[in-house]
Amino acid sequence: MNGTSRSRIGMLVMMILAIALIVAACDSGESVDTGETTTTAASGGETTTTAGEGGEDTTTTAAAAPEGGGILIAAQGAEPDRLDPHLTSAYASFQVLENVYDTLVQPGPDLSMEPALAESWEISDDNLTWTFTLRSDVVWHNGRAFTADDVVYSYDRIMDPDFGANNAFRFASIEEVTAVDATTVAIQLSRPTPNLLVNIGAFKGMAIVPREIVEDGTIDTNPVGTGPFRFVSSSPDQGIVLERNPDYWRASEGLPYLDGVTFIQIPDPTVKLTNLRSGEVDWVDTVPPQQLAALEGDSSVVVQRVPGGDYHYFALNQNREPFNDVRVRQAIATAINREEIAEAAQFGAATANQTAIPAGTFWSYDYAPFTASDTAAATALLEEAGVSDLTIEFLVTSDFPETVTQAQVIAAQLDAIGVGVEIRDVDFSTWLDAQGGGDFDAFMLSWIGNIDPDDFYYAQHHSTGGFNFQGYNSPEVDQLLDAARVETDQNARKALYDQAATLIVDEASYTYLYNPENINAWGPQVTGYEVRGDNAIRFVETQLQR
Amino acid sequence: MTGYVLRRIGQMVLALLGVSIIVFALIHLVPGDPVRTALGTRFDQEVYEALRARAGLDQPIVVQYFTWLGNAVTGDLGVSFRSGVPVTTLLLQRLPATITLAFAALFVALVVAIPLGIVSAIRSGSRLDYAATATSQVAVSVPDFWAGIMYILLFSLVLSWLPPSGYVSFFEDPLEWARHLALPALTVGLISGSIIFRFVRSSVLEALNQDYTRTARAKGLTERQVIWRHVMPNAWIPIVTVVGLQLGFLLSGVIVVEVIFAWPGLGRLALLSVQDRDFTVLQGAVLLIAFMFLLINLVVDIVYGWLDPRVRYD
Repeated sequence: MNGTSRSRIGMLVMMILAIALIVAACDSGESVDTGETTTTAASGGETTTTAGEGGEDTTTTAAAAPEGGGILIAAQGAEPDRLDPHLTSAYASFQVLENVYDTLVQPGPDLSMEPALAESWEISDDNLTWTFTLRSDVVWHNGRAFTADDVVYSYDRIMDPDFGANNAFRFASIEEVTAVDATTVAIQLSRPTPNLLVNIGAFKGMAIVPREIVEDGTIDTNPVGTGPFRFVSSSPDQGIVLERNPDYWRASEGLPYLDGVTFIQIPDPTVKLTNLRSGEVDWVDTVPPQQLAALEGDSSVVVQRVPGGDYHYFALNQNREPFNDVRVRQAIATAINREEIAEAAQFGAATANQTAIPAGTFWSYDYAPFTASDTAAATALLEEAGVSDLTIEFLVTSDFPETVTQAQVIAAQLDAIGVGVEIRDVDFSTWLDAQGGGDFDAFMLSWIGNIDPDDFYYAQHHSTGGFNFQGYNSPEVDQLLDAARVETDQNARKALYDQAATLIVDEASYTYLYNPENINAWGPQVTGYEVRGDNAIRFVETQLQR
Repeated sequence: MTGYVLRRIGQMVLALLGVSIIVFALIHLVPGDPVRTALGTRFDQEVYEALRARAGLDQPIVVQYFTWLGNAVTGDLGVSFRSGVPVTTLLLQRLPATITLAFAALFVALVVAIPLGIVSAIRSGSRLDYAATATSQVAVSVPDFWAGIMYILLFSLVLSWLPPSGYVSFFEDPLEWARHLALPALTVGLISGSIIFRFVRSSVLEALNQDYTRTARAKGLTERQVIWRHVMPNAWIPIVTVVGLQLGFLLSGVIVVEVIFAWPGLGRLALLSVQDRDFTVLQGAVLLIAFMFLLINLVVDIVYGWLDPRVRYD
């Protein structure tokens, strides 16, 4: 008996191993080309990409495009949730979709709107009809020709109130979209909309999609676009595989250069960077600022930092006492030190700012009324308001760890004026719930990817704004924002926004903190990639030199 | 025996039903809302209502549960709110990586724990025993995320022997499969191995102190015969129990290690579904994990009777 028992253990071990092997064997996936085969990248100086600061054009002189530019492995820190551009709100999804879909117009290198699927557009004298002339040489990844009907279909889908598109609010001023002919689309507006181009083209959330993949339900699993890369497959083990679109509408310029892009997901930032340094991946999205110093001295890694359009801020709940008193908000806005906060949270990869829009763009507004760490002024304001023994609960989330760091720094800074800070650190779902329910003294987050000042101010500070959770209500600001929305003269429009921003900052509807830099990193084999101010990830002009 | 197994399967079904009710109730008690999370900061009441209605989340919870249960019985676990992909597809995509890692880690654990545990018990009090016991204490105490990062830095960055992360299927490339599997299997396997080691050591030690062992020695058997024919057969039962528990734990997805090594397993899926309040996916993942746990328990119980004829099932 004892002898057989022993051999049974042996059998058990064998069985476990056998099961392991069978299971592994069952897992047959498509093979993935790791891109090491093709190395025909143009090493000659044929291609010059000048993406200078104010450079309007990215001049690309590629007479003979390098066929077969290898497959770029791009590592993302987060997992794309879904691939329907009209439903997702995840940045990780848009990193992929940016390379698959197109919009009618798109932000250029300096974030001014430039032609994409639309070659040109005209505005009627009453500013209520915009007529777009579409490119006639665009083909969907499934081979069908792109026409004006696709634009009408996509915009109707976004505007359908029963559908629930994330960006429906951007189409609020659009009455009707019609196809005049196969290459002409007319957009009828209810009011002049000077920022219409930004509304329909700021990012791929307003992408033009083909009707057939919506109707057969494959838009989330098998997207079909008009962009430089075609979707091949998506799986948790092989990531999202894209291949070169040979029929891309810029194919005559030899674009895209790469044979494909594979997005893989590596959640841990240290491991993501280790993959870059060991050459397993070619490119990584965000780099933790605390790693910047180490990476910038590493010859196996190229780090690029660009001033971005994002901003970090906090907002005090004006539906609660004592934050409904403007003096209390002002006291806090002047007791803090934005430079210290930016340094602690972003390790220098940020610029302190008392307004939302970063310096260096047409819309930026140089206004900084609060002296940093002015404890005397802050204490005086609190006394005036008759507030003492104040403790503020800051709603932050570890899912955006910089908000926690910032709250810690602010706690130390407010201690100097005798204001206590309780940090309430929850996960992002709970954070959103608390924010939406008004269950906070102060919440802290960032806004990303805004281009037009309407994006920066309207929804956040207009009394009817959809994201005005702090309860700011200023008839004057409402009036200015409403007027600026329909002002077609650029300079007059900017003047209106400057006035609105003055009030918003003075009355501390938001307390703006800083604009972080956009940071990507890649291996020295990658060329022709530029970090963009809007954080869009575009590989269309990227090359690999292996 | 057959009756016993059938009875156990019946109990499994009831247990799964209970698990599904508890999970459903729990995830609706937690603050956070899948629709709000999907919308992010760009919240709009109309859009919110439209999405809720389309996903059926505006129905009363009880109605939602029974709708879900009715579909689940037919094998349809619903569609992920987060990704729009059927839950069964998501689970099946992730299952191979989880099972691979679980069995590889268990292999590492057994290879380390069983020989070391037996030797430590036989030579208890020796330097080897102290060293092994102390090492296992350290291995259990070191956080897995830290150990994982250290292995990555050493084996990938410094030595350049192994890839830092990722998963390759066995059929695609067996060598790469093994290379990608090595570090996560080591990270998890050493922790499981340390736990199993302690059980092996104590149960062998206990059997060594029994009367039948003394009798065996007294009748003049060699030490080898004593160990293999009298000590080990009696020591296996507690060992099999703990190995079964460890396997269940490994199959339920080692979340932290899956995150560190970008391992596309069930743990990461469950984590994402919790973060996004993706109820259907979480429900499906928990049910699958519960099912695997129950299945392992059943197998372990059957193995008891096989190992030790004194165990009867009636």
